[in-house]
Amino acid sequence: MEDFELLRNVTIGQYIPTGSIIHRLDPRSKILAAVFLILAISFTSSILANFIIMLAILFIAKLAHIPFSYLLRGFLLGLPVLIFIFVTQFLFMGRLEPAGYIFFEWGWFRITQRGLYIMALSGLRLISFVFLTSLITMTSTTTELTHGVEHLLRPFRRIGVPSHELALIMMIALRFVPTLAEEMENIMKAQASRGADIGGQRMWRPDKAAKAFLPLIVPLFLNAFRRAEELVYAMEARSYVGGEGRTHFIQLQSRTVDYMVILAAFLMMLAMFLLPWPPLFANLKSFFSP
Amino acid sequence: MAAGWPSTVASNPHSLRVDAVSGPIIRLENVHFQYEREGDAPIQALRGVDLAIQPGEYVVILGHNGSGKSTLAKHLNALLLPTQGDVWVNGWNTRDPDRVRDVRVTVGMVFQSPDNQIVATVVEEDVAFGPENMGLPHGEIVRRVDWALEQVKMSAYRYRPPHRLSGGQKQRVAIAGMLAMRPKVLVLDESTAMLDPIGRQDILDIAHRLNRKEGVTVVAITHFMEEAVDADRLIVMAEGRIQLQGTPREVFRQVDRLRELHMDAPPITRLALALNQLHPHFPGDLLTVEEFVRAMQRHARAAAPPLFSPNGHPPPAGEKVIQYDRVGRYYMRGTPLEVKAIEGVTMHVQRGEILGIIGHTGSGKSTIIQHANALLRPHEGRVTVFGQDTRDKGVDVREIRRRVGMAFQQPEIQLFERYVGDDVAFGPRNLGLSREEVRERVREAMEAMGLDFEAFKDRMTFSLSGGEMRRVALAGILALKPEVLVLDEPTAGLDPHGQEQLLAKILSWRAKGATLVMVSHNMENLAELADRLYVAARGSIIMDGSPADIFSQVEALQSEGLNAPVVTLVMQALAEKGLLPPEATRIYTVDEAASLLGGLL
Repeated sequence: MEDFELLRNVTIGQYIPTGSIIHRLDPRSKILAAVFLILAISFTSSILANFIIMLAILFIAKLAHIPFSYLLRGFLLGLPVLIFIFVTQFLFMGRLEPAGYIFFEWGWFRITQRGLYIMALSGLRLISFVFLTSLITMTSTTTELTHGVEHLLRPFRRIGVPSHELALIMMIALRFVPTLAEEMENIMKAQASRGADIGGQRMWRPDKAAKAFLPLIVPLFLNAFRRAEELVYAMEARSYVGGEGRTHFIQLQSRTVDYMVILAAFLMMLAMFLLPWPPLFANLKSFFSP
Repeated sequence: MAAGWPSTVASNPHSLRVDAVSGPIIRLENVHFQYEREGDAPIQALRGVDLAIQPGEYVVILGHNGSGKSTLAKHLNALLLPTQGDVWVNGWNTRDPDRVRDVRVTVGMVFQSPDNQIVATVVEEDVAFGPENMGLPHGEIVRRVDWALEQVKMSAYRYRPPHRLSGGQKQRVAIAGMLAMRPKVLVLDESTAMLDPIGRQDILDIAHRLNRKEGVTVVAITHFMEEAVDADRLIVMAEGRIQLQGTPREVFRQVDRLRELHMDAPPITRLALALNQLHPHFPGDLLTVEEFVRAMQRHARAAAPPLFSPNGHPPPAGEKVIQYDRVGRYYMRGTPLEVKAIEGVTMHVQRGEILGIIGHTGSGKSTIIQHANALLRPHEGRVTVFGQDTRDKGVDVREIRRRVGMAFQQPEIQLFERYVGDDVAFGPRNLGLSREEVRERVREAMEAMGLDFEAFKDRMTFSLSGGEMRRVALAGILALKPEVLVLDEPTAGLDPHGQEQLLAKILSWRAKGATLVMVSHNMENLAELADRLYVAARGSIIMDGSPADIFSQVEALQSEGLNAPVVTLVMQALAEKGLLPPEATRIYTVDEAASLLGGLL
């Protein structure tokens, strides 16, 4: 690890105040619209349709004045996971779904058209998910989000969904992300100053890498527990006794544009669901065929 | 600050408070408390405390770590209930479960750690958290939030996320969060312990103003003597009991008794007492610079002082082991939040000296020192450590980090091993030394920190006291046998006794010729230790020189939100009155000042 600035790479959860039209939307409509878009992404297995959704997401980023490079940075952080998913699909999908044109086969290892297709599709979906979630957190303050979630879940309180508690947990978790990241940074620096070789382990020795993590994880957890204990005192001192009888400082307000956004996202989902999208690859079969 | 308490709204059930007719707002009767420990004897934290706090009083409770003062604080708003005895708040017994909410709304409490008491991710919403819990209507919450933020002068920051505030600002938010509940009593439970001087002064000013203008009763728990000077009443605790009580003047006069309790009088009082011993007619119970100057004007016989040679350790002209050449570094580089943390920093560390770096939070001092062992590498300029440019590709970073030991603020957060000995051994083991060598190094390092090797090596790390943990952490760095040791706020958060012990250790290393870099905002500590000083502000080095050179520039320091040692302030005030020549401001320690002023009486 060359640089100890952990927060620099955590784009999810970082609010970028550009004051754009997207920022000014009611968080409830942003969350609902995002849910519809995520459903849309999940419904369609057409790569073309996924491309269109991706374009829509990039358009939203443009509207929100979020630089594309910054959006990409958060994505790069998740790249190892993405590559892992790619590789496993590459290796195993060919066997599990042996449909389609076979490009290459060697023992149990088989690259099929279908396998490549699923790989590309899941890649696109994942990137869309990451972009969409980072966009929401970049354009809404964490409190807007928590209040949004609380409001949206409130009707379900009757059937035992603890909407207030969930929102509070979410708020506190988000509140402590930067604090704990900073603490982790300090612990890493302190242990590096004691000669710890942080991140210097070889990838093929996960046992050593895990052991090297102990001096970081143990203090981080101990401190997190201590913080939690003090936070409980602080909340009790402010006479917190749970969600019953609480009132709200933040009052959310929806405008026409909010309903329009929800409607647009809903229509997009319907379009993805109902329209016969070409699967793209299928039509380009000749392109791959020898 | 004419704004009064916001009006109460009748629809709020909690506004129908029954006010005690008269008498104390808080009353403790023979309060005992013990912490139960698993598989161990319980700890007696309070052993019979009787105390009555009157409405409108400003009470300071002093005590060293483990004296029971924080346990006492938590009894004032029913966070803890006495194992024996009773606590009455506004006439309600804190044991009454139906009154817990009333008690907590009446007694607001601000804690030590600025980070661990803020719930929300935006300042104004955090302030609203209490009123929301009280179930106040929306309009009333808004009014109270506005008013409370105004009281602590944080209105401009109302939309900020808390992690982008300084420690002092976070504590102001925490106070606002309490004020929004309109408490009658504000308890500050070591709320200034982790703050720099500006932050601490802000909190004290706010507490005093609330006390005077708004009639809020204040109970401040602290181990800083200076904070007690303006109190109506001072209570000194030790061993779970009240040991001394009275006005600050009455208490500080008993300096011998205070020392027995591991406390000390503030520097001005110590100076006055030193003069009092030389000349019994000089008053020994002075608390402020103004009082001291007045007493000197009354008692000084000669206006012209005898000649004196300004003090100071001659700056050693050792080899320059670390050199900074116009170093610049950005924070969050390449993101929309990018800021320049330091710029154009040129400085050096010489072998065998104690170098002090002064600066408040956000001055860039932490960023500066992290370049000294290549934790950070310059984005601009160059840092050379033992002749090696830290940006060179082939540089052995771990070797640099071994030769330049670095102890961070509150180094105890780095502890992770179950046993003390193992934790201290972490560094030497990383060096790949043999078992015997590791053991020898651990022994040496622990003894250098005043921890007996045999007694401590098998103790459980996390059962130690705060001061002991600090020393274990520092031993873990000494075990690397660094040639230069960088200490970031080594005494912060320790009580006066712990500070004194640690400073004595640091002084003993100096005698052995160690090279030390000490970052601090504690002027008194630096005055005692440093050979040479740099002042950091706004990401640059703005002053450098000997302690006398720097401390005598009182105005320049104050314009950066820093302060000179109290003794320097006294000297300056006396020089302004013509009692001392202007060069006297070069004096900054109690001993030197006492011997000089003694000649005047």
